Amino acid sequence: MFSIPVLVILIPAMPLAATLATALLGRRVLRGRSHVPVITALGLAFLASVVLLVQIATAPDFRSLHDFGSLRAAEARHGYEQIVTLWTWAVVPGASERGQGSGVRGQDLGVGVRGSGSQLLTPHSPLSTSNSSPGRHGPALRSNLRSSAPSTQSPNSPHDLRVAITLRADPLSAVMLVTVTLISLVVAIYSVGYMHGDPGYWRFFTYIGLFVFSMTMLVSASNFVLLYVFWEAVGLCSYLLIGFWYHKPEAAAAGKKAFLVNRVGDFGFALGVFLIWTTYGTLDFHDTPAASGARFQRAGHVESLSRNVAQPPSAVRRSPTQPGAAVPQDAGSVITAPGVLGQWRLAEPGRFVGGATGTAICLLLLLGACGKSAQLPLHVWLPDAMEGPTPVSALIHAATMVTAGVYMLARCAPLFAVSPDAQQVVAAVGGLTALVAAVIAFTQNDLKRILAYSTISQLGYMFLAMGTGTASGSVAGMFHLVTHAFFKSLLFLGAGSVMHAMAGVIDIRRLGGLRRRMPVTCLTFLIGSLALAGVVPLAGFWSKDAILAALHQRASAGDAPAFYQGLYWLSLATAAMTAFYAFRAFFIVFCGPEKVSLEAGEHPEKTSPWMAVPLVVLALATIDVGMHLELTGSLENFLERTPSIVALSREEGEEGERGSRGVEEWRSGGEERTLRTLSPSPPLPLSPSPLSIVLWGMIASAAGIGLAWLMYLGSPGVKRRLTGWMEGAGLYQLSAGKFFFDRVYEVLVVWPLEGVAQLAAWFDRVVIDGLVDLVGSVPRAVGALLRPTQSGLIPIYALAMIVGLLVLLGTLLAS
Amino acid sequence: MADGELELLNGYLVVGAILFGLGMIGFLSRRNMITVFLAAEIMLQGISLSLTAWGRYYNDFGGQVLALLMVAVAACEAAIALGMVLMLYQRKGSLDIVVWQNLREESVPPYVDRELPEVLPEKPPGWPHLTPAGLAPKVPPEQTGYRPHV
Repeated sequence: MFSIPVLVILIPAMPLAATLATALLGRRVLRGRSHVPVITALGLAFLASVVLLVQIATAPDFRSLHDFGSLRAAEARHGYEQIVTLWTWAVVPGASERGQGSGVRGQDLGVGVRGSGSQLLTPHSPLSTSNSSPGRHGPALRSNLRSSAPSTQSPNSPHDLRVAITLRADPLSAVMLVTVTLISLVVAIYSVGYMHGDPGYWRFFTYIGLFVFSMTMLVSASNFVLLYVFWEAVGLCSYLLIGFWYHKPEAAAAGKKAFLVNRVGDFGFALGVFLIWTTYGTLDFHDTPAASGARFQRAGHVESLSRNVAQPPSAVRRSPTQPGAAVPQDAGSVITAPGVLGQWRLAEPGRFVGGATGTAICLLLLLGACGKSAQLPLHVWLPDAMEGPTPVSALIHAATMVTAGVYMLARCAPLFAVSPDAQQVVAAVGGLTALVAAVIAFTQNDLKRILAYSTISQLGYMFLAMGTGTASGSVAGMFHLVTHAFFKSLLFLGAGSVMHAMAGVIDIRRLGGLRRRMPVTCLTFLIGSLALAGVVPLAGFWSKDAILAALHQRASAGDAPAFYQGLYWLSLATAAMTAFYAFRAFFIVFCGPEKVSLEAGEHPEKTSPWMAVPLVVLALATIDVGMHLELTGSLENFLERTPSIVALSREEGEEGERGSRGVEEWRSGGEERTLRTLSPSPPLPLSPSPLSIVLWGMIASAAGIGLAWLMYLGSPGVKRRLTGWMEGAGLYQLSAGKFFFDRVYEVLVVWPLEGVAQLAAWFDRVVIDGLVDLVGSVPRAVGALLRPTQSGLIPIYALAMIVGLLVLLGTLLAS
Repeated sequence: MADGELELLNGYLVVGAILFGLGMIGFLSRRNMITVFLAAEIMLQGISLSLTAWGRYYNDFGGQVLALLMVAVAACEAAIALGMVLMLYQRKGSLDIVVWQNLREESVPPYVDRELPEVLPEKPPGWPHLTPAGLAPKVPPEQTGYRPHV
């Protein structure tokens, strides 16, 4: 009943329907009940995501769409993916004529085809491909074609720019979908309590619905255009929700800042997509199979043609680095258009474009990811985004939207795999961001901003994991993404609960000892902090450990070991810092002597059940999810069936030196894995972390927590001495000033732009407006001349009438 | 066609033109609304006279029909115009046409040749009266008492 295509469509459709319902009815009809459609839709979407996850987990591996024949039976691990094409959005026929290098090859092909005198394989393409040919032998070929192949206007001509609304179901998407829908469901329930009585209640839930729709589409999109569209759509929702209380000037400014900073990243992303188009000639992730196998089946000459030409059409355009690469030829099916991340390309790493172009693509994509995921040069918007309502911070700016960059890196991992330089940049950006954000978080006094910097830092961790470029790294990054979604949204919702009870006061210097007044919040916040610090049984421990292990593994095998070894120690240090700032916040707010903000009065209100239940649910999930996923190994096994990640591990296997898992091991297990299911679990693909890594991680957390306890609860003397020493070294000011990023950007970017804008405004005001005013003053002057005749005296009017009459008569008589 | 007819037409047209010209001069130069109106009527009559003359000249009754139509229209117009004159007079207490110059541009100063009183007199002037003149006729009492028609 619920087949995978239906589910993939249903999951975004339900939030969209709820959005429309609240948008149309919310203001007048639903009002205080605006949450009902949204929460219902999110609940259903979550259930659908879980069903989807289970179906994907139990589905056999991908192998049917285009079997690569007996050639590569040994590496039959393709992972699982299913593509659902809804409709074609835009077609630009023959757009890839402009693709690089296509002209020459197309011409070659045209000659080859004419020489062999056979029908064309892909009718439309070689003609339109060649820039130079149509004038000479184009028409002849085209007529030849019409006679031979009736379906000239093939719907799948690979040379068109064809943007389809195409969704995909694969393990990576499924994990993201489940995370997004679950967190948004929980946060929406929490918002019922938090946003109660707000005049924009219906607006809030409309935006939330719109966000979930966009985010689910983002993670299930199967081409770069769609990815970009919904990338922007979540950015729009973020903007709308940051500026939700738009009458507050800070909120409006923060929304604008987030939008503008994201423009920088999105600009890079867009350029990356363009470069992918000119390099690969397609924007689809997936291979597009031939529309009708019959068209090719009857062509026994397909083989001969491809041999004649030495390059079959689909391979012709792209893969300039691999001139000899043979496109899969099978009796039954031919891939007409290999996708950027499709099975055909994934089968051999050589089919990706490396070199400078590959690196440029990766770096541009990384710029996009940095914008959305608030990584180092572009992280400045995220702390300010805390001006939005707290549930928004939890949902969008901690758990889901900001992880879109990580998702994209995981999705495009094969592109990065051919460009080790770009990988190292990713890792460096991630590591540096993790460290810097953690240092800044030391000295912040706004509870939500501490959490925001923590989010940036943790996202840096995920980037670090993605930067290893190994399958285990990608999986560890995604693992951290999932666990982080749980515990960080838990922490944010706890902070929101504090804020709600304390009448909006969030400055930790004005709070203290709240554990007696708010036991539920205190306990859940403690669990979240422990998870963030990476204490043993909680979610954060496992995923952080996985990242450390992946880094360590990468450092011990593969190129640039010193670089990754350095990053490994850096991330260990960051782990200790994370523990420190997490518990600094916890100890100050919840422990020690009780301090309650004046605004809240003596009796801060009890946490309402709408808010308490989500906290508890998230806390339980935080306790369980990491342990469960790690110990059963289910997440790793599941994610490793994503085509992109399969390719990474295959590559590792072929290289045979990286990783703890040898070639023999998985080659031997390859056959059974093609059909394996979620349970019983096969041997863990992630090697269990060496004991030393676990120990080091635990020591780091313990050190951080211990130092926080010593400074904020144990002995104030230590705190005084340490801060004094830090201030002396200038580190304190650096941290409190947020490394002066905002200041630097103000001087380097804002001021020059402001100057130019002022100049332009002056020019507009004086020169352009002056010209316009000049033109406008002409009729006014004429009017001023004629105005005295309008005297209001009736005899004068009568005289004018008669004079006019006489003039008319005179001209008539004279002519 | 006889020459007499042409001369007759000429004579009538000249008289019509003179009437029209007189009316026009009166229309432009007079400030009393009723006089202005009468001047306009004179112009109309000049035109209807020439219409009749043309009608006779061409032996076509169309001209006379048009003249009759003009008389009828002029009667209607007179009724309306006199009603309006009455209304205007009741507003301002004056028949001077220059009193009404509200349609002028704001920047143009009003034309004033004679100050109007700031406030209108409490009782607007009543109907114009004819001054009684001569002796009242003596009516025999039986005439006043006997009314054969009632």
